[in-house]
Amino acid sequence: MTKPRLATLAIIVAALAVIAFAGLSGALLNLMIFMMIIALAAQGWNILGGYAGLSSFGHAAFFGAGAYAMAVLQTRFGVNAWIALVIGIALGALVGAFIGFLSFRSGLKGSYFALITLAFAEVARILANSWNFTGGAAGILLKLQTGLPYLQFADRRYFLLITIGCVAIGLVVSWWLEHSRFGAYLVALRENEQAAQALGVDVFAVKMKAIAISGALTAAAGCLYAQNYLFIDANVAFGSWISIEALFAAIVGGSGTVLGPLIGAIVLLGLGELTKGLSGGIPGMDLLVFGIILVLSVAFSPNGLVMLMKSLGLRAPAKAKEA
Amino acid sequence: MTRISKSMSRRTVLKSGVALTSMLAAPGLLRAEPAPVKVGLLQPISGAFALDGDLAKIGAEFAIKEINDAGGIKALGGAKLELVVGDSRSNAEAGAQATEELQSAGVAAVLGGFASGIALTATQTAARYDLPFVVDCAVADTITERGLKNTFRFNPNFSMATAVALKNLVKLNDDAGKPIKTVAIVHEDGLFGSGLAKIMQEKLPPLGFQIVETIAHPTPARDMTNVVLRLRALNPDLIVPSHYFNEFVLMARTLQQQRVRPKGIYAVFGGAASSYRFVNEFPEAAQGVMDCNHWGDPKSPITAKLRETVTAAGKFYAYNTPINYSLVKVFAQAVEKAGSADRAKIIEALAANEFDSGIMPYGKTKFDAKGQNASALPLNTQVQGKDIKVIYPAEYAEAKPVFPING
Repeated sequence: MTKPRLATLAIIVAALAVIAFAGLSGALLNLMIFMMIIALAAQGWNILGGYAGLSSFGHAAFFGAGAYAMAVLQTRFGVNAWIALVIGIALGALVGAFIGFLSFRSGLKGSYFALITLAFAEVARILANSWNFTGGAAGILLKLQTGLPYLQFADRRYFLLITIGCVAIGLVVSWWLEHSRFGAYLVALRENEQAAQALGVDVFAVKMKAIAISGALTAAAGCLYAQNYLFIDANVAFGSWISIEALFAAIVGGSGTVLGPLIGAIVLLGLGELTKGLSGGIPGMDLLVFGIILVLSVAFSPNGLVMLMKSLGLRAPAKAKEA
Repeated sequence: MTRISKSMSRRTVLKSGVALTSMLAAPGLLRAEPAPVKVGLLQPISGAFALDGDLAKIGAEFAIKEINDAGGIKALGGAKLELVVGDSRSNAEAGAQATEELQSAGVAAVLGGFASGIALTATQTAARYDLPFVVDCAVADTITERGLKNTFRFNPNFSMATAVALKNLVKLNDDAGKPIKTVAIVHEDGLFGSGLAKIMQEKLPPLGFQIVETIAHPTPARDMTNVVLRLRALNPDLIVPSHYFNEFVLMARTLQQQRVRPKGIYAVFGGAASSYRFVNEFPEAAQGVMDCNHWGDPKSPITAKLRETVTAAGKFYAYNTPINYSLVKVFAQAVEKAGSADRAKIIEALAANEFDSGIMPYGKTKFDAKGQNASALPLNTQVQGKDIKVIYPAEYAEAKPVFPING
């Protein structure tokens, strides 16, 4: 398996930044921002689900923690948006550590771990829905005020750049994982936990670190979401949709790869927009087309789009030689 | 070629020359078709609220056709209105995305929104472009309380509607000789249900009603048996429900099965209480259910036409159709008054003028400083037989309330 080099990642990020300034319409910029937010959430999921093999169905818990931290700190305590962003990310890591501590201590993994994360996200959703502090079921509205200190921009492109920057950090974190001892521990743990333990890997500590990093990245996505749409409620922030988007993008793109989540998010959401034009006036038809394409792509590239690209890339020169 | 030149006599050349000069002198006639004014309609065409979005679209299309057939926007030389539909897919992000697309399509304004969560994000998106946005039946008070200059709401908000609902409930009870003493509140635990329950808990006791129980349930709920059994034990005079369509139907049917017969069911923005689908599918369970909701003027001939159009398409009529019909009418008046399709001028016109309310029972629509239509009000309806009749207020009433319903 060839690992992407840092230079490749830099080129991809630069390309995204160039596209951001290529004179796109507001609708496309908005779509790109959403793509980056989902990519970031998926990168978070990928650290835990992809590298460490601990599939979570409840990344909404982290996403929501970030989103609510961002909203509550700004509206209730008048905290600066940038500081709120940092606190939101830290809170995501903390929530990750909390869930991780409870579930890893009792050795949960596989479907049991998936279910416990789902349960945590649901508990968080119900709490946020009924607690006045979080705005209850009415949710929280952030004030529309543009300017650098508010982390809101009249020009969409600057916000897009910030989301691209966050995705770049996610890429670097994943790249670092593939090149570090810590990343090797994660993979060892995914492949065979007992063997890893026998070789002296502190399994609990490694898992705790992984879930904290994972939580922090996904929480960053939540923060950016709140800041872009300026309205969150319990179903948006802690709803199962984001858990699904995060794991979907990572798995379709290629779980346990550096570029998988980003490619997955771009392809899935891009496809969703493209099929909108194919609905032929029948409501919901686009979603049907989207579903069919998705089934086909997963059927033909079960290891993710990144792997499909690689295998195509490897096959092409072989054919060239034959010719 | 030869034939044409042969037939071109001096006289015809002169004639056409005269015709040409007269056309040049009247540029309005030469430009037979002035540029159309694009109207954005943001509705959930797919997703959980697809039925509502569809009905809204029918109403808006009907109004557009009516306006265009009558000669378009007169202030713009008969410019036609052109509807551009944005699908909010029943969720907030897609609502924002669809608003961006409407902005790219160059609409003069966006109408609709339907649900509060969608309307909140969509209006904010539109605010970035100073794009006028007239919200329809999204009721959260906060929509018009953010100081967004572009945002208006045609329909009553939550506080306005509950105030009317309570006033009419007291009148209903007094007229019938005060049969109601105890009330049970059943609500879904989302924004709409719990918000309403909170208001009811505050306001009902001072009006002389005793609240025996407040029961919350999640949406979706698959079974209402426990809720209904609790209601049977409590035996309240009145049930005040607030939930969405499916849960409302489920509760009404379970009440019927368990033979729980309160003296009345009084909903505010009831999910199914003023739905012809409910009345058609479960006429017995729906009998006598009262609602305080958005509703078109039943006496207007256009209401009847809209109902026919919807029914002819094999769909069940609901309030979305008259609301969006009227919304387009209000927008057209605003463009007439602005004398331009310019966004800033339309916002100015919306804020400064009074408008006919189409077929909504609002008298003259006038947006207040926050953008809320100050004259909007809900109507009280009751399921009677196979129909939904307006019972309050008197000027719109089609029938007398049947109350109490069970003896």
